[in-house]
Amino acid sequence: MGTLILSNVARSFGDVVAARDVSFTVPTGISYGLLGPNGAGKTTTMRMILGILIPDSGAVTWDGATIDFAIRRRFGYLPEERGLYGKLKVREQIAYFGRLHGIARPDDAKRAAAWIERLGLGEYADRPCAELSKGNQQKVQIACATLHEPELLVLDEPFSGLDPVNAEMLFEVLRGLQRAGTTLILSSHQMWQVEDLCKSFGIIAGGVVRAGGTLEELRAAWPTRVVEVEPAGDALRAVLDATPGARRLQRDGATLAYEVPADTDTAGLLRRLVTAGDVTRFERVEPSLRDIYLRAIGTAA
Amino acid sequence: MNVTAVVFTAEFMRRIKSRPFLIATLIGAFSVVLLAFLPVLIASIGVDSNRLILVGDPRLTSVAATLLAKDFSIEATRPTLGGTPDAAYLDSHGKAGAVAMLSRERTRLRVVIYARDPTAFGGAFGRDLAPLQIGFSTGMSVAEIQRHATVAVQVRGVGGRFRDANAANMAKGIAYLFIFLLYIAILLNAQAIMASVAEEKTSRIAELLVATIDPARLLAAKVLAAAACGAIQLAIWVAVGGSAGGAMVGLFADNVPSSHAPIDIGPISLPPGEVLLLLAFFLVGFFQYSVLYAAAASLITRTEDLGSLAGPLVIPVVFGFVLAQFGIQSPNSPAVAIFSYVPLLAPFVMFTRIAVTYVPAWQIAISLVVNIAAAIALAWLAGKVYRFGLLLYGRPPSLKQIAKILRT
Repeated sequence: MGTLILSNVARSFGDVVAARDVSFTVPTGISYGLLGPNGAGKTTTMRMILGILIPDSGAVTWDGATIDFAIRRRFGYLPEERGLYGKLKVREQIAYFGRLHGIARPDDAKRAAAWIERLGLGEYADRPCAELSKGNQQKVQIACATLHEPELLVLDEPFSGLDPVNAEMLFEVLRGLQRAGTTLILSSHQMWQVEDLCKSFGIIAGGVVRAGGTLEELRAAWPTRVVEVEPAGDALRAVLDATPGARRLQRDGATLAYEVPADTDTAGLLRRLVTAGDVTRFERVEPSLRDIYLRAIGTAA
Repeated sequence: MNVTAVVFTAEFMRRIKSRPFLIATLIGAFSVVLLAFLPVLIASIGVDSNRLILVGDPRLTSVAATLLAKDFSIEATRPTLGGTPDAAYLDSHGKAGAVAMLSRERTRLRVVIYARDPTAFGGAFGRDLAPLQIGFSTGMSVAEIQRHATVAVQVRGVGGRFRDANAANMAKGIAYLFIFLLYIAILLNAQAIMASVAEEKTSRIAELLVATIDPARLLAAKVLAAAACGAIQLAIWVAVGGSAGGAMVGLFADNVPSSHAPIDIGPISLPPGEVLLLLAFFLVGFFQYSVLYAAAASLITRTEDLGSLAGPLVIPVVFGFVLAQFGIQSPNSPAVAIFSYVPLLAPFVMFTRIAVTYVPAWQIAISLVVNIAAAIALAWLAGKVYRFGLLLYGRPPSLKQIAKILRT
């Protein structure tokens, strides 16, 4: 096991800059969510971690060492565009990818059988992959990526195209790997999936990491908070309007919602509101990952 | 197990068990047999323009039949024919290709031939009957004229390459067979690599593979696996062509006129040194074409583009094959000698020269060195294109972009 460090990594394709300056650290056993819009540089960054692409500048290290083929074989990869040999049988396909990652015979076959059982692929084990449904092909792909118990598993949009049942199955597999201490790096457009699985996040846009850290760290750096107050009476509105830096947000008529500076004394604000009138609800709303993401990529635009 | 060996084994097993490989091996073996016996089969069961019916005075036709025997097959002799022979007459007389009507007018021999294929009666017919004409003019007997006309010619091979003309003919037959096999093996197996690379790229498996193995080693493993399959295919074809050839020639030999005696190809026996050179040139040629095809396949983004890319790449293979045909007839011509050094062509041309003539060892050595160096250079360049092309999606690269990749 080791720590993954990307230091000022950059990569261009001709005149197109895919990654301009990417830096982040993922400690052992941590799940890291890489967020960003299409074309932000997520896949290029993942490919550089895996050694598929060589950075133009900067460095990628695993446990302090430059990533070579011996290290790469201890990694796993589930790319966004899934690929399987159509004519190869499920059992042979999984075992082959195991051997590519250093699992010797006959252990490859034993592990393949175990994954086939675990993913409910038993009746398809000796069928060519091309005959399987898309969902079952994705299961095969997951087994191919994880058969060798990787130290680091990179998943590019792993939930893309999965139905809810298969998505839940993948969740379970990933949680199992987390329990086993596997470091995960995953990208997804589904915020809740990333938030549910990951401890740490990097928001990337225009080839640059715009924000990074745990959710608490990202929130701590967030410059404002939202307070929601009910009922929406004039007396309470006057108190909120008088709060330094407060900005009224458009909400439904029953609730007063204001964006206030993060360092606003909310306890003092609540006291002033209670003094001004009856307060049935007062809530200080923390920014969600989605809010932070939208703000980060907005500043990047 | 080394990851290159893992890929090699998987590629080899996939290819050797694949239906296209089995079908190609069977069709190839059948073609080799057919190629070896085609002249025999045609001569034995088909209509042959060299089969004649002689019509005329029996004293005249009997002498003419003897004189013509070395170049033509005499189906029958007839004293007369009721009318002018036509195609229906020839059809009704089995395999005959022509009727030759012979008559004497004082000192002149008069011959009229009614033939299906008029081009078959050029110089040989007239030359064969020349003693008869001379006899009419001079009054000498045909036997006497033949005795005077016989020139004792001894042909002795220089350099110890062939002991006689039969051995040289046999070598030409063997050379033809092997360049045909090399041609088929390169076409089938190099294109199999192309299809395999295209499949891995278009299905995005390539991305997973290069996460665990260097693209150059991946390419090497694929080429070696295809070469191993090609070598097995070649061995099967040689064995089938050699042994079945001998048996079939024996079967048909009695029914074939001496002028159509087949080149004795079975069982094929080559000196061990030549077998090694065949193998060396086969592997060098195979490697050159394989890396070229693989690099080209890595640049396509849709399987549908494979056909349009394969077309132009077949041209050098066909060119090499055609050049080798010239090489069989004129192995020492300066042009053939030059082409026997040129990469992509030398595997065809140099082997042909080795099989049919005496090639100094230094020429073989230079050709091998040049072609091995070219194979390494091609592999290096192809490796660069392959590494770049495997992860390239969307629009295929322009020639300018490819040139830029090769320069970097």
